[in-house]
Amino acid sequence: MTTTLTVKNLTFAYTDNQPPVLENINFKLALNTFNLLVGPSGCGKSTFFKLLAGLYPEYGGKITAGDILLNDVSVNNIVPFERAKYLAMLFQNPSRQFAMRTVEEQITFALENIQLDRSKIKQRVAWVLSELHLENFTKRELLTLSGGEQQRVALATILALDSQIILLDEPFANVDPVARKQLLHDLKKLQLKHHKTIFITDHDFSNYTGLVDNLYKIENKQLTKGSTKILDKIIFSKQTQQNFGSLHNLTWNNLSLSIHDKILLQPNTLYLPKGQVGLLSGANGVGKSTFFGALTHQTTYEGDIFYQQKLSTKYKRKAWAQIIGLVFQNSTDQFVRLTIAEELNLSKKHSLHPEYWTDSRINDAYQLLNLTNLSKQHIVYQLSGGQQRKLQVLSMLIMAQPVLLLDEPLASLDSTSLNNVLQLIIEVTQALQLSTLIISHQLVEVRPQIDYELEITDKTLHLRRTTNET
Amino acid sequence: MKLKPLNPAILFLIMLGIGLQTTFVKSVWLNCIVSLLSILYIIIFRRVKLKTIFIVILVTLPLAFGSWWSFMLFGTTDKWHIAWIYGTRVYAYLLIGSALTLTVSVKQLLFNLAGHLKLSETFVFGLLAAFNLLPRVRQQFKRIQYSAQMRGITYRPWQPGLYLRIIIIALNWSGDLAEAMTSQGFSEGYQRTALQTQRLPKWQWGLTILLLLLYTYCGFILKPW
Amino acid sequence: MQTINKNKKGWSIRDVIFLAIIGIFFGIIYQLWSYAYYAIAATPLKAYANDATLGVWIMAGPLAGILLQKVGATVIGELLAAAVEMLLFSSWGASTLISGFIQGIGNELGFAATGYKNWGKLGLLLSTIGSTIITFIWDLFQSGYSSYNFGMLISLFIIRFISIGFFAGVLVYWTKSLLDKTGLIK
Repeated sequence: MTTTLTVKNLTFAYTDNQPPVLENINFKLALNTFNLLVGPSGCGKSTFFKLLAGLYPEYGGKITAGDILLNDVSVNNIVPFERAKYLAMLFQNPSRQFAMRTVEEQITFALENIQLDRSKIKQRVAWVLSELHLENFTKRELLTLSGGEQQRVALATILALDSQIILLDEPFANVDPVARKQLLHDLKKLQLKHHKTIFITDHDFSNYTGLVDNLYKIENKQLTKGSTKILDKIIFSKQTQQNFGSLHNLTWNNLSLSIHDKILLQPNTLYLPKGQVGLLSGANGVGKSTFFGALTHQTTYEGDIFYQQKLSTKYKRKAWAQIIGLVFQNSTDQFVRLTIAEELNLSKKHSLHPEYWTDSRINDAYQLLNLTNLSKQHIVYQLSGGQQRKLQVLSMLIMAQPVLLLDEPLASLDSTSLNNVLQLIIEVTQALQLSTLIISHQLVEVRPQIDYELEITDKTLHLRRTTNET
Repeated sequence: MKLKPLNPAILFLIMLGIGLQTTFVKSVWLNCIVSLLSILYIIIFRRVKLKTIFIVILVTLPLAFGSWWSFMLFGTTDKWHIAWIYGTRVYAYLLIGSALTLTVSVKQLLFNLAGHLKLSETFVFGLLAAFNLLPRVRQQFKRIQYSAQMRGITYRPWQPGLYLRIIIIALNWSGDLAEAMTSQGFSEGYQRTALQTQRLPKWQWGLTILLLLLYTYCGFILKPW
Repeated sequence: MQTINKNKKGWSIRDVIFLAIIGIFFGIIYQLWSYAYYAIAATPLKAYANDATLGVWIMAGPLAGILLQKVGATVIGELLAAAVEMLLFSSWGASTLISGFIQGIGNELGFAATGYKNWGKLGLLLSTIGSTIITFIWDLFQSGYSSYNFGMLISLFIIRFISIGFFAGVLVYWTKSLLDKTGLIK
């Protein structure tokens, strides 16, 4: 059975009155190859994949011109169970792609969809689990698995469907580095041994050397072919000058984290220095966001957290939220009002430093973030990813909690915006003597500008040692 | 001989049939009989600890007492009888409901409703997929509250802002899940491999009809106290 | 290759998951409210506790109706919320489903009265009136309201209408207006 997937003059927009996200794309997927699609976040990689998988326009948007053909039939016209035999997709958020509770049930569900005979289902499940070394997971509950394990199960589901083409949309966003390497290795094996066609989107180039046959880029709504040489290029990022201050309000004592009985972070005792901006680094899935979750009382932890020597649990919920500000990874989790003006006014009204945040300062910041071309009556949910990010950071900076945690505040920002946002964070931190900690993967840009770097490795949190590495 | 539990679909029908009639039946005796039989069934076929059953019964006591007391205070005629009817009815409802929820898993119930009573599989798998998110939904609810508290406000259940946030999350998450399930081949309204359900022997249908008719006869013709 | 039949207009898997997730959120909100309800419901004022909080319990139905705007959405939305409540949060089983159905029917009748054309103020007004009347009749039997004196019945009815009118009417309307402004639903 040969499968062809061809894109012809494709133009796609989310709504009629918005400019297209992708314009006049032509593309043919070469079978039995390993392909990588790169491009800045928000450039349309996910959109492109969902179109290839036939999920769009059923689940959103509109094809304004052109077509995508799977064996010469429009992919979005094919019944899903038929389509799944040819192509299937693995999604960015590992925990939101399962219908069932356990590994075995999940794979069985997929096989029932393609109407596999009941008598063959059990065998097929056993086979894929052994193929991906998941035998011990058969009865495990999916929600108790790590991000990496969940993605392996998702991959097992696709392998069980025997889909020829496997699309993976940022599959490693919540996957730790060891699991990432292993998954990449398995994918290569699927290509070579089972003649699958692999197509991945990723913003992180590491570990791809030698795996990738074709590299594609999306730039300015266009898909172009690039050289795989960029995967070999090693980017050196400067070391952080460790300048860990001693003044502090927020401390923790023997703080440890675990998820489903698995230890994420060993007991740790440290503090966040005042008036400084720190970077919290560490690979995907090591527990950086969970650490923020613990500090904000969103997730459970062991040990004690203190603010000004008073135990955190002695503070009321609402009072604690006025001490530790959190910029969420997902911008829309932050918004509590509808328009830009309402968001900023709310922060201004309840700011903990109204003397600092005068109207002119807010305006300056607004200008620095290059938001002035937008009407202040603009609905926050209709902003672009980058604009949402900037508004989100600005509204929390105006609130100015003494401790400010920012979870990926620089993702989906172009380099000018990134520098301006970072500059603003540093300026406010120093002026108001905040204790600021940033989770970011933009190490090259961030490291030279910050005061210190905390790192989570091997389940410990520590000041990053100054060894030379890439 | 080992007792076998009733098919979940049958249990569901009995629960609905009796529950519906209980609304119109005024009998302390019948309420007690329904409660006792339910307890017995739960104890034999339970999926939970005995302690859980005990707690369920205990926690409901104040509610039953509230009903009872309310009629003693505000009832117009035949206070004692009425008060006891509504006091015991609280338990009849609770226990016949628990006879299903404490003995059958959600998945088994939904599969059997689909297999034997034609519940659409779109509903079965839609519900199951959403149920998996329960812990995440709890966490998200905390996050929503924290996002407001950080900005100096608190969401109350009578404020539309809270529901807007909930709807936006539900929109995003349901889209993610539905896309994934579609990509895994789930096709609404098309044939799938027949679900694995428990057997439903004919005698269980007979038993259902018998039980419901018996209850109707006792409740509306015999009318014990 | 088998292609899809574009004419089918049933419930999509996305709609079901969407309403079920909203139902789970409601389950969490109910849990928070249930303490207050529980405190009053353990006293002779139980009937008042029922009627004053009823609106919150039935919000899911009209919300589903105006979000999906199709025939049956209100009943099924309310039933889904009841199913979530029954399967995840409580062991009340039968009574949760039955009352969910009754409440949903009451609300649905309101929208049906407009020929499923008005999902705005009028539809919601009729829907709240419909569910107030239907659920009240139901409670005459189920909760034995028929044994209360006439004066108490009148006050209970008014309290119920206010509760349903606010939560399942005004609040749902406000929420929908906010949602419309976001432009997230077409």
